[in-house]
Amino acid sequence: MKNLAIFFSIFFLGFFISAEQLYPGLDEQQLKRLNYLSDNIRCPKCSYGNISSSNAPISKDLKEEIAQMILANKTNDEIYDTMTERYGDYILLNDPEKRNPLIFLAPLIVLIISISVVTIYTIKKSK
Amino acid sequence: MILLLSFASSIGLYITKNRAFTSYVMASQGIIIFTYLLFMIFVSSPFLKLDFAPVNGADLNPLLQDPLLAIHPPIIFSGYVFYAVTFCYVIAGLFSGFSQQLFQHLKIWAGISWFTLSFGILLGSIWAYYELGWGGYWFWDPVENVSLMPWIAGTALTHSLVYSRDKLLLSWMVFLAILTFLLSVFGSFIVRSGILNSVHSFAADPSRGIFLLSIFAAFSLISFVLFIKNFAKMESAWPKLGSRNYLVVLNNIVLSGILLVVFIGTLYPILTEVIFSQKLSIGPDYFSQLISPLVLVLIALFTYEQFMSLSINTIFKLGGLLVVSAIFLFIILPANVYLNLIFCFVLLVALVIKAIYDFQQRKALIQPHKVLGHFSVTLMTLAIIFNHNFSERVDIRISPGDAIKVMNADIQFESIDIVAEQNFDSVKANFVVNENFTLTPEKRIYKVGGQITSETAVNSNIIKDYLIVLGDRFEDGSWSAAFSIKYGILIIWLSAGLLLVSMLYGTIRRT
Amino acid sequence: MKKTIVVLTAALLVALVWFFALSLNTPKISNVKTQEGKSLPSGFELIKLNGEKIEETELNEGMVLLNVWASWCITCLVEHRFLKELSNTYNIDVIGINYKDKLGDAIKYLDKNGDPYIYSIHDYDGKYALKLGVTGAPETFLLIDGEIVKHRVGEVNQQVWDEEFSHFF
Repeated sequence: MKNLAIFFSIFFLGFFISAEQLYPGLDEQQLKRLNYLSDNIRCPKCSYGNISSSNAPISKDLKEEIAQMILANKTNDEIYDTMTERYGDYILLNDPEKRNPLIFLAPLIVLIISISVVTIYTIKKSK
Repeated sequence: MILLLSFASSIGLYITKNRAFTSYVMASQGIIIFTYLLFMIFVSSPFLKLDFAPVNGADLNPLLQDPLLAIHPPIIFSGYVFYAVTFCYVIAGLFSGFSQQLFQHLKIWAGISWFTLSFGILLGSIWAYYELGWGGYWFWDPVENVSLMPWIAGTALTHSLVYSRDKLLLSWMVFLAILTFLLSVFGSFIVRSGILNSVHSFAADPSRGIFLLSIFAAFSLISFVLFIKNFAKMESAWPKLGSRNYLVVLNNIVLSGILLVVFIGTLYPILTEVIFSQKLSIGPDYFSQLISPLVLVLIALFTYEQFMSLSINTIFKLGGLLVVSAIFLFIILPANVYLNLIFCFVLLVALVIKAIYDFQQRKALIQPHKVLGHFSVTLMTLAIIFNHNFSERVDIRISPGDAIKVMNADIQFESIDIVAEQNFDSVKANFVVNENFTLTPEKRIYKVGGQITSETAVNSNIIKDYLIVLGDRFEDGSWSAAFSIKYGILIIWLSAGLLLVSMLYGTIRRT
Repeated sequence: MKKTIVVLTAALLVALVWFFALSLNTPKISNVKTQEGKSLPSGFELIKLNGEKIEETELNEGMVLLNVWASWCITCLVEHRFLKELSNTYNIDVIGINYKDKLGDAIKYLDKNGDPYIYSIHDYDGKYALKLGVTGAPETFLLIDGEIVKHRVGEVNQQVWDEEFSHFF
């Protein structure tokens, strides 16, 4: 308790700035992009979860860095590239281009084949 | 281990009943218990002491100091156990043949298992939403997926038991029961062997992994052999095209498709890691993009099922009416409302109208649990789509005494308090939202472990939830905070509750 | 037809079990890529804890062991003793990166626990460490002529040193 009290004792002394977005200078569209990007980037220190939902300090730093990159007019791909360059593919939660399209197609193909096989079989049986 | 206890009790329960298949049921239960007993004695003995005793104990991770967390895994586990019992009945059926009595037991056990597993998963979701502070209820985390896989297979099993009335597709039903059981064994392997990264990190131990894998292999082998050998006993008819049973077949195929998606999405990262030494992640988008259309197909199927007793002509007319009203809604509603939402909504209304109509005609619903169950699934899907598409969040920086307007909400940061509790110190922030209610998110510092946790503050109403998570304090006295609005969370819990009630009713009325 | 299905399913099962047996025996790869093969980020104005400026070339010559630490980091304290041993026994420049620490706390920490570092870089906002690919403390980088040849996430102790670092000497 004592530590905490010291930690927060300077609390009311500081001058107050008025309330604002945590990442200043971003317009609404850019904020949406920031949310979208940080939903899709995994927290490198955590066992699971993206950086927008994690409380780890590294996640906040990364979010801040992404906000800076958005302000510097970087595209989403460039931002993803910076992240994978530093931390590897693991960090991207949603990476359709680099990912094997087979894992998207396989379940759908199996589904379509099984529905048609069953239907054809049923039609044959009904005759 | 709970597994053992529950098995023992279930045997005790059934020891009095003397039927042709009882001995087989008990024999298979005996074998399963014996295996897990071996596991407990040789690999995971609860009597081993820690090598060194931490002074004062290491303190329980604060996130785990929550009753919901403490009970959800045992409930899910009991769900697995009940599915093991269901499995034993099916194995008994392979030896002694499937009588109507056996089906009666199977339906009850499948119902109990499904109820327990769903209840456990729901509690886990609720815990994640209120305690983890991420504002989500499902993360497609590998361990969640592992509990979802037997659930999907079990859902398919419950539906396939419908065939029993006409003795159709027995082999498929048996296959599903085996699959459900194997998936739960598989789940315990995946979770306890530590080959996955997850929020649910458990003590990982390779020898335990090998043992659990061998159990999985052994059970798979045994059930596979039994399945093949007794294939002749499961000779049964095939449903007619367009019949009710045919719709159930379609339902089973689509559910299996969903199962496949979850399976691939969970295991593909392990595959690339082992074979290509490449780490990658499969995020929520993969699952939601593939699964949501499949769920909509399911909903369309069972809505159609409600109407299929009508003549073809009426169905065409009604279908046309539905399409027209969907298009109409699509045009008059604001452009950011999504097609799947309208689709779901229209089907929901159709289900409700049909239920009311039937009720007026007969003064009672046929199979009310089915109607209620399907209604809640549709409602839940609607709420989930709603939540997925409209929820917003924003990070703000705000000083005590200041106000801000974001996402059409007025947030007033009233004050901040420092409170000392028995095992933690906490900083409580008071926010007033829309001059209407107060939210007090907290940051806690635990005395023993020194961990810092954030307590989310949530205000729920039937349409939307307001959430605030307190962030860090800046040097000038302002704080960062994450403010989010989530839609339809209460409706999701409510519909899940209704779904559970419908299954409970459907099971109880058989006993 | 029936036979093929039986054989296929059996094969699938065997493959699945074999695959998991394999995955149990595969050593775990760390989640996040390490920074080996890269060089230090440039364009930063680096300052020692005592306020002196650091030339980037100082870090890019010869063998340098960069250790990320902080006074609030418990594992760093565990690692601290080994680092002191290390700087005594090996002829190597151990340089600290003080990560997200208040200057006073950092200096107090070194006064209390001893200082194994030639000097420490004061990275108060963690920006330099972020660009370097640090995800937390402690982390250790071994540099040879400006190239990162070893990156360790987490504690370095005698065993880790013998297995992963000592062969560079």
